[in-house]
Amino acid sequence: MFELDVATRHIKSRRRQTLFSIIAVSLAVGIIIIFMSMMSGYTSILIDSTTENQAHITIMPKEDEDYIYLYHGLENHIHTLKGVGGVSSYLQNEAALQYKHNAEGVLLYGINPEDEKRVVNRDKYMLAGEFVSIDNPGSRMILGFKLAKNLDVNMGNSVTVQIPGAEPTDFTITGIFQTGTPIDETMAFVNLGRLQDLHGSGDVVTGIGIKIFDVYDAEELANGIDRETGYDAISWMEQNAEILNLMETSESMVYFFYIIIFSISGFGIANVLIMIVMEKVGEIGMLMAMGTSRRSIMLIFLLEAGILGMAGVVIGCVLGYGASLAIASITIPIPPEMYFGMDHLPVVIELKNFISASAFAMVINIVAGVFPARRASKMNPVEAIQSV
Amino acid sequence: MFDDVSDIIIQIRNLSKIYGDGVEIKALDAIDLDIKRGEFIAIVGPSGSGKSTLLHQIGILDTPTSGTILLKGIDITKMSDKQRSKMRNEELGFIFQYHHLLPDFNALENVMMPLLIKGTKRSKAKKMAFELLKEVGLEDRINHRTHQLSGGQNQRVAIARALVNKPSIVIGDEPTGNLDTKKSDSIYELLRRLNKEYNQTFILVTHDERMAAKTDRIIRIVDGKIAEDSKNRKDF
Ligand SMILES: Nc1ncnc2c1ncn2[C@@H]1O[C@H](COP(=O)(O)OP(=O)(O)O)[C@@H](O)[C@H]1O
Ligand SMILES: [Mg+2]
Repeated sequence: MFELDVATRHIKSRRRQTLFSIIAVSLAVGIIIIFMSMMSGYTSILIDSTTENQAHITIMPKEDEDYIYLYHGLENHIHTLKGVGGVSSYLQNEAALQYKHNAEGVLLYGINPEDEKRVVNRDKYMLAGEFVSIDNPGSRMILGFKLAKNLDVNMGNSVTVQIPGAEPTDFTITGIFQTGTPIDETMAFVNLGRLQDLHGSGDVVTGIGIKIFDVYDAEELANGIDRETGYDAISWMEQNAEILNLMETSESMVYFFYIIIFSISGFGIANVLIMIVMEKVGEIGMLMAMGTSRRSIMLIFLLEAGILGMAGVVIGCVLGYGASLAIASITIPIPPEMYFGMDHLPVVIELKNFISASAFAMVINIVAGVFPARRASKMNPVEAIQSV
Repeated sequence: MFDDVSDIIIQIRNLSKIYGDGVEIKALDAIDLDIKRGEFIAIVGPSGSGKSTLLHQIGILDTPTSGTILLKGIDITKMSDKQRSKMRNEELGFIFQYHHLLPDFNALENVMMPLLIKGTKRSKAKKMAFELLKEVGLEDRINHRTHQLSGGQNQRVAIARALVNKPSIVIGDEPTGNLDTKKSDSIYELLRRLNKEYNQTFILVTHDERMAAKTDRIIRIVDGKIAEDSKNRKDF
């Protein structure tokens, strides 16, 4: 492969310029890998916290009904479906909580804690008390820590629950949870049977939460349940469509940014190659006279673009890796209740990001080489030789 | 008196090359020419008469406006770029007024280049290139680059490079045009010796009549036409 020989010599003969273009590519690749790692980090945090803190599929009542009446049968049916890890029926009710002079509106959830724990790991977020403390139809309540703070209640205190159309009833606080999400301020749990009593509508629920093993199966499973039962089953993706759309939009915006950065580094490579081609006109003519085909001339300069690009990509990957690690190790001074309890910038180092950034860079670099390479290969050998 | 036809390596018929749009320049005007294997030919003539143009046509570096050129019986005017490149690589050696050595390679590597282009193994190419550098008297300069060599030395490297593929035709366009008389004499002697040694055909453009007189045959070109084609007496 004499083409490779000639290409490497050309690169070596232009040390400073080639170094410059390699640095440009390295920086571009490095920066983009950092960006991708951070995007991956945010995406995975968002998806993890979403899928950890809520049911993957939620079954809602039929269209013109307020409740799911035959929920026990439905639960049993769902348990037989493949990939289902937990099923928890709930009765949701708006309520006002009152403690001394403080009053707050809440979403009151009646649940069976053992079932609920198989859908969302509520234990994990308990600040005080046990989630299972509401496992029998007593008047006990677990509430979010912000809500507790706003009401100024503590463990063991009694709050008055007011539900439209029901007598005010006192509940004892037996647990406080903290998730780092808005539910800390709006949500309280009581025993399902107890709430059904209070509510007076019999053995009914307003929804069924389902946990599945592979969160990405949610859409398909939900559609299946829709079809089979006639109830409205909503996947977590559907429920969070807005956030997911926003993420996709920002991802495509970022692609635009990638293209700009890579184009700049691509121009750097094109520039060096144009310089080499201009300097080597006589040499190109002589190579042709010695029997180098136009294709080989083209190959020489494409190889040069490839070598410069490859060097830049390798260095860029190392840079990107190092910088991503460094960023991941920075502790951020944010109160832990914000940003889903993070105290580090979310960085996920993924092989696929390195591969796509490298491939993207290589394609642009080779494309950048095409123009100078074509120019070299189209030269008239006589004119090229006489140009010296 | 009659030449053996099978010995004809270059056959040119009715070859014309017209340059220019608007004002046309007839650089070559219906040239007919036969050249035999092993001939050592000088092409002479005034500046701008078409000497270089003719060499470029024979060297398959350019295409004619009309006419045919047969190299070893093959019509080169009808070849693809790939075939032309292969023919240049295997059958032709070029020596120009400027050496055109690749500045990023040393003397040995420069001479190896036509072999590497052909696809010869590196180790073999190295040996063949070294032999030729020895032949031109530069065996102790093989690792030098062009800027470390004199004009005459560079031209010798260029000659070694032109001959390394054992081409059947060597063309030189004023190969000693940049050298002083003494150096150019020694280059001519070298070319002559190589011509005798390998029975290769040499076609050299020169405006040095003294040099031309030392060749087998002088072709004089004036205004794109052959004005004179004379054989020098070999046994003189
Ligand atoms: N590329 C070209 N474009 C236009 N005219 C050319 C070109 N090359 C050569 N010529 C013209 O063709 C004629 C022959 O040129 P050339 O073969 O170089 O002459 P010589 O080598 O005998 O000095 C000259 O008139 C020259 O100006
Ligand atoms: Mg000339």
